[in-house]
Amino acid sequence: MVTQYGIKFAVHLITSHFGNLVSKVCENLLRRGPLTLQLLIRFTELTPLQVKNSLLILIQHNCVQAFSTEHIGAGGNEVKVTQYLALFDNILHRLRFPKFLAIVSQELDKDCEEIFEGLIQHGRLTLEQISDRAESSAKTGGKPSSGGPAVRDAVRESFHKLLNSRFVERCPAPEPFLEPPSEPKSSNKRGAKSKLAGASETEEQRILASAAPIEALRFSLLTTSGTDLDAEKDGAAGSSVGEKRKHAAVDSDEEFGSKDKEVVLWRVNFEEFIRCLRHKACIENVRARLDDGAAIVLKAMLDATRSAEQKVKTETSVPLSMNTIFEEVMKNEAGRSLTLDRVRASLIHLGCPSAMRGTDETYSIDLKKIIELAQNEEVESIVLKRYGRDAYRMFRLLSKAGQLLETDKIADMTFVEKKETPNILYKLWQDEYLHMEKLVVSSARQFSFMLWKVNKPILWEHVLDEMYHAALNLNQRLIYEQEQKELYAIQPGTRTGSTEKDRLRNAKIYLQSSLVKLDDALMLFHDF
Amino acid sequence: MSRLQGPSSLKRKQPDSNSQLDSLSEQERVVYNVIKSKQDLGIWSKDLKRETKLLDNMFGKCIKTLQSKKLIKEVATKNKGRKHLMAAEFEPSKEITGGNWYLDGNLDTEFINLLKDQCVKLIYKMKVATLEGIADTIRRSGIFKVEFTSQQIEEIVRALVLDNEIVEVKSNGMEEFDCIPIGKVCYKCASKGGKAEPRIGAMASIPCGVCPRISVCAPDGVISPKTCVYYEKWLDF
Repeated sequence: MVTQYGIKFAVHLITSHFGNLVSKVCENLLRRGPLTLQLLIRFTELTPLQVKNSLLILIQHNCVQAFSTEHIGAGGNEVKVTQYLALFDNILHRLRFPKFLAIVSQELDKDCEEIFEGLIQHGRLTLEQISDRAESSAKTGGKPSSGGPAVRDAVRESFHKLLNSRFVERCPAPEPFLEPPSEPKSSNKRGAKSKLAGASETEEQRILASAAPIEALRFSLLTTSGTDLDAEKDGAAGSSVGEKRKHAAVDSDEEFGSKDKEVVLWRVNFEEFIRCLRHKACIENVRARLDDGAAIVLKAMLDATRSAEQKVKTETSVPLSMNTIFEEVMKNEAGRSLTLDRVRASLIHLGCPSAMRGTDETYSIDLKKIIELAQNEEVESIVLKRYGRDAYRMFRLLSKAGQLLETDKIADMTFVEKKETPNILYKLWQDEYLHMEKLVVSSARQFSFMLWKVNKPILWEHVLDEMYHAALNLNQRLIYEQEQKELYAIQPGTRTGSTEKDRLRNAKIYLQSSLVKLDDALMLFHDF
Repeated sequence: MSRLQGPSSLKRKQPDSNSQLDSLSEQERVVYNVIKSKQDLGIWSKDLKRETKLLDNMFGKCIKTLQSKKLIKEVATKNKGRKHLMAAEFEPSKEITGGNWYLDGNLDTEFINLLKDQCVKLIYKMKVATLEGIADTIRRSGIFKVEFTSQQIEEIVRALVLDNEIVEVKSNGMEEFDCIPIGKVCYKCASKGGKAEPRIGAMASIPCGVCPRISVCAPDGVISPKTCVYYEKWLDF
């Protein structure tokens, strides 16, 4: 579920990127859930054209997914209705584009980075468009020697790299048909796998699943009949694989039931970047909590198995044998200083059970646990700063206990004055950091006890909402400081020249870097 | 708890106060008997009033008389601010004084912090330590004049874990755990440099993360990021 400030923050992002009209449409979708075009027009009180254009922009930038369902119409016959769903996660990912770009430039080369930047700017592009962009930038860049075909070949090569790293993917179907959830007989195409996990699937997940291209096609650059000229020429490079792919392409075209000449659109694969950032967060947490050795081992394991992970929120890393782990560790320069014994010790530090030491042992790291520890740390540090050390101790006690504890017992275990304890606990409860229950025992006399507990699911959501609020505030302050700067430029001399300029510059740096860090925390609670 | 009714307090001889007892009125005797029956636990004056079912002024008078005759006394407990009464011949039990960590009804924070500091220093020196190891070293060091039970040391160590100054780990029998049996619970310092503050998270390092008024803050509200005093302070270089 998306929290109140989550929506406000998302709307703010859309407003600053695409203006008020688009954000109005987006806000309605976020607040009310999927809507038809007619309803959107009614709720937003905009003209049909305005709404349509806004929707097009949002779809182009992967912030909205259309889907159709069947309804019983007025005449009793079934009518196909198109609805639009706002994709909250994708909207928030817009905040992370610089992070995504940094990953691409770190792992791939400059050409890939340029293509990727184009996809970020435009949301969705065909390979043709990507090539055109590269060609025109080569021309303006003043490279007379590189003609059209050379540029196109280079683009193709770079694009292949992006696909192989799974940094870009084929766009989902424009308007998948969504079968009613109550019906047990669902499409076989999606397979039993998604149905098994689908018991508690939300509507959003169902829509996204039905729109997603089949896995075989998702990262493959294959030629559907004549859409891509370059592909024909490229036959030599990928003919052996191409055969197989072509087969799949035919199937997929049938599946989508689309027009004969389908244009393949590409977009950024957010999932892969979130996975990368999740791995990075895990590694950094381990480095801070344990040591460099453990971080190196974990990084080696995660890097080696990134493409084998099924979903972002995977609970444990893909199992690897000791030999493979050691091999992977050795690939890294820092890893070469580690001996086999050190690697083994690090694995134990990382929580791998040491009992299973056989010949063909495999190791897998509990990533969920690492994420949980990082989340705890984040919330605890808020409690420490906001309520002080006694509260911090109490909160940690309750968080670890995971059950109701009585006031006096809490006081005893945390060495806080009996009289002070209820006040601190009450403050935490008032701000929704604790759950409280009153227990009244009536024997000869009435005794009442106060029991306290940390209710993590509820609290985590509350903290996440506060974080969205804080992110929104940082953004707004940033805008405000910017306005001040412009104001200052018009009427200088209000404060001594250079100091005010410096202050504004520093403030901007402070706010921006805080936002980058806060966004890491947002992902920690929402995406990881 | 059985340890609270130690033999010392129970076997104390009653002072020869028969003559004083004889001179008590009926109500005073009732009050006295209730107080005395509570032995070294004593009784909170409000509870006493409820049990004796006396009227306010009568109750106050009784207490005054009993106190002036030195039959009962007021004692300090860990529940500060409560008037707690006890028959004169008893010494307050640990349960009401709060035990070793309390001094005159107050939590002896100075003493507790001193002991905590010593424990952290020891664990840092020992790299990894078991509970027994810590208790033993403290005992042998002779820094403290009092003897600590292992229960007390455990309480202190637990609080240090909650402070995040030390962490609980299980021995794997390797490296630093060399001479500790596998699976045994040990403690080590949370940071490599000994004493350290917990890491400050992203949220806690910006004004909104620690803002007590965040629930009333809104973009165009009375409190807003534009007018926020905390921001003003934060961004004043």
